[in-house]
Amino acid sequence: MVWKAWRIGDVIHYPGSEEVEKYVYTPGIHGIEFAKALKEGRILGMKCPGGVHVPPKTYCPDGSPGELVEVKGPWRIATFTVVYEDIYGNPLPEPQVLALIRPDDARRGGLIHIVKADPDAVYIGMEVKPHWRPPEQRTGHITDIEYFEPA
Amino acid sequence: MRTNIFVKDRVAVVGAGLTLFRRRLQETPRELAWEAAKQALESAGLTFDDIDCIVTGTAPDAFDGLHFNGEYIADAGGFGKPTVRVYVGGGTGVFVPVAAWWHAASGLCDTVLAVAEEKMSPAHPHPQGVFAYIWDPILERPLGPNLIWIFAMEMRRYMYKCGATKETIAKVSVKNKRNALDHPAAQAAANITVEDVLNSELLVWPVNRLDISPVSDGAAAVILARENEARRITDSPVWVEGIGFTLDNTHWYNRELAFPRYVNYAARMAYKMAGIERPWKEIDVAEPYDPFDYKELHHIEGLMLARPCEAPKLLEEGWFDRSGELPTSPSGGLLGVGNPIAAAGLMKVAEIFWQLRYEAGPRQVKKPVHYGVAQAWGDLMQAGTVIVLGN
Amino acid sequence: MSSRSGRPQPGWVNPPGHYLKRDEMYSLVGLVEYPPRAKYLFSAGQAQSRFLMGLKEGKILGTRCPRCGRVYVPPRMYCEYCHTHTLEWVELPGTGVIHTAVISYIGTFRERRKEPVIVGVIQLDAPGYTPGGYEFAGLFHRLCGVTPEDVMSGRAIGMRVKPRWRPPEERRGDINDIECFEPIEG
Repeated sequence: MVWKAWRIGDVIHYPGSEEVEKYVYTPGIHGIEFAKALKEGRILGMKCPGGVHVPPKTYCPDGSPGELVEVKGPWRIATFTVVYEDIYGNPLPEPQVLALIRPDDARRGGLIHIVKADPDAVYIGMEVKPHWRPPEQRTGHITDIEYFEPA
Repeated sequence: MRTNIFVKDRVAVVGAGLTLFRRRLQETPRELAWEAAKQALESAGLTFDDIDCIVTGTAPDAFDGLHFNGEYIADAGGFGKPTVRVYVGGGTGVFVPVAAWWHAASGLCDTVLAVAEEKMSPAHPHPQGVFAYIWDPILERPLGPNLIWIFAMEMRRYMYKCGATKETIAKVSVKNKRNALDHPAAQAAANITVEDVLNSELLVWPVNRLDISPVSDGAAAVILARENEARRITDSPVWVEGIGFTLDNTHWYNRELAFPRYVNYAARMAYKMAGIERPWKEIDVAEPYDPFDYKELHHIEGLMLARPCEAPKLLEEGWFDRSGELPTSPSGGLLGVGNPIAAAGLMKVAEIFWQLRYEAGPRQVKKPVHYGVAQAWGDLMQAGTVIVLGN
Repeated sequence: MSSRSGRPQPGWVNPPGHYLKRDEMYSLVGLVEYPPRAKYLFSAGQAQSRFLMGLKEGKILGTRCPRCGRVYVPPRMYCEYCHTHTLEWVELPGTGVIHTAVISYIGTFRERRKEPVIVGVIQLDAPGYTPGGYEFAGLFHRLCGVTPEDVMSGRAIGMRVKPRWRPPEERRGDINDIECFEPIEG
């Protein structure tokens, strides 16, 4: 028997799955401060030489310790895309705008979030503001901001 | 094996740093890497601006639960610099400084930051589930294996071939956990007895709970520099005298398990480069990889610090104690300090660095030291990585 | 010798890091829990597929390297040592000796098993290897008819064994078509 006789149709396949039920990610030292502030309806950044980083980093690019500051905006769309399918390829009920949003007072970094707006009306440089969930629903996650909306 | 041992530039280790090793740390993987890198830089009196290149190392992404984890942790200093991640399973920790060495020895970079990080705690219900992925999905995983099986099988074979008893092997765990009492980062330091090891939970005979290193989070970093730069940075550089790395095949059950050929080949390569002909006489302090207690003895033999099957006898004689003829794992090793996989191997390199600078404080070995060797092993009894340092 | 003799490194005497107890971790604000949903389909490949089909027929097949003569079990499509195609299939008797054996009290997730299981490496009788050499043809599998005492005393190692096959109608082309390896009587 030579190998040529073996075709793809003869190759046996085995199913398998990820042998981990879940991952638990700790937010990190400054991640916790960021999370706590989200619960209070505030967004924190890290002031480093050269600008403010959002979300905050524990360290600045030059290695110096930064300082936590509140970022107030105004927030602007730096770039965006329109999403038609979920991660499994199923069509979404309606197209969704996903954007990189940068505050004017923190040019380093930004947040990736949903923008609730008509996809045809969204443009780069558009001013948006966070729409917060009611305080009792907030958990200290990025989803405490339900979405951004045109200002 | 044919390698060119006439390398252009000498390279030295000039700084080292560690974070705590613990089961659950609050810090994110990149924060841990940054903390370790910062320690290493401070110990060398350098800043991030002084670093030319970065080498990162982390074992399977599936522990941290982040793909590109090496790139994540490179964020801790790799900003806009040539950065590479290396990976050979458990051998990664020693492979990181090996890769950093060739970056410097080739003349490409003057200073290299080598950083290794591992966060095993995110994977639930137990990081053991991640280890299921190292088994062959077709011929091994359907048998429902646990990672410990492979070690137990190797240990059983080693005991059979060398006539070593569980009592003797347990003494490695006792020694390393005791050594770790002096280590400020240690997770599993303890004053225990051979009986404690033998009476701990039996997992896979011949392996009990205390024969194994714990699940850990942590990071380690070292700084390497070319000769001219190293002499500017410090008056006591620790030279990289030799490096070695080899890979065997994945068919671990088609090979004799009592002797680690994969480590031996890497060791021969490193000794040849270092000009060491009789390692058992010329090496003064060693950090063999010890995720399991028998592994230390097994690797001592692979490193030719003892003849095959001689290590258990020498252990009984106290040869490997801190006050002994050839101290091994004076840090406390993985059994005592903890086992954040990639970081644990680099912790061993850092320990040899401190030992050769006489900076290990209470862990300093009794005898004078000139040459030290650190070694790690990885994958399916496959990868051997060795580094020989000298002062 | 260094002028800094005996002085520990500044800084690392207090290594950084914040340890969390289990409950502390679960009460952290901003903690993210995520269940991965990846599913895989592994291909057994050319050589292993043929091997698995052989198991279904109750045969242990290997491939022979035309250059060095080693017979590989499990079979590979290429010789690792000569880097040549292994073109020839060989049927092996399936008998061999136990290379190593252990008793497992835990499962994949470290859960305690109800009954311990004995597993080991079986060195199969195959041509092309030096007796007592470093390499051999072999399989990793369960062992039955071997007692824990045999394992602990070392009697198990070197014992001659053969495969115990599942009934043909239960075989699926799977490593579990061999129920286990068991000692050859007499």
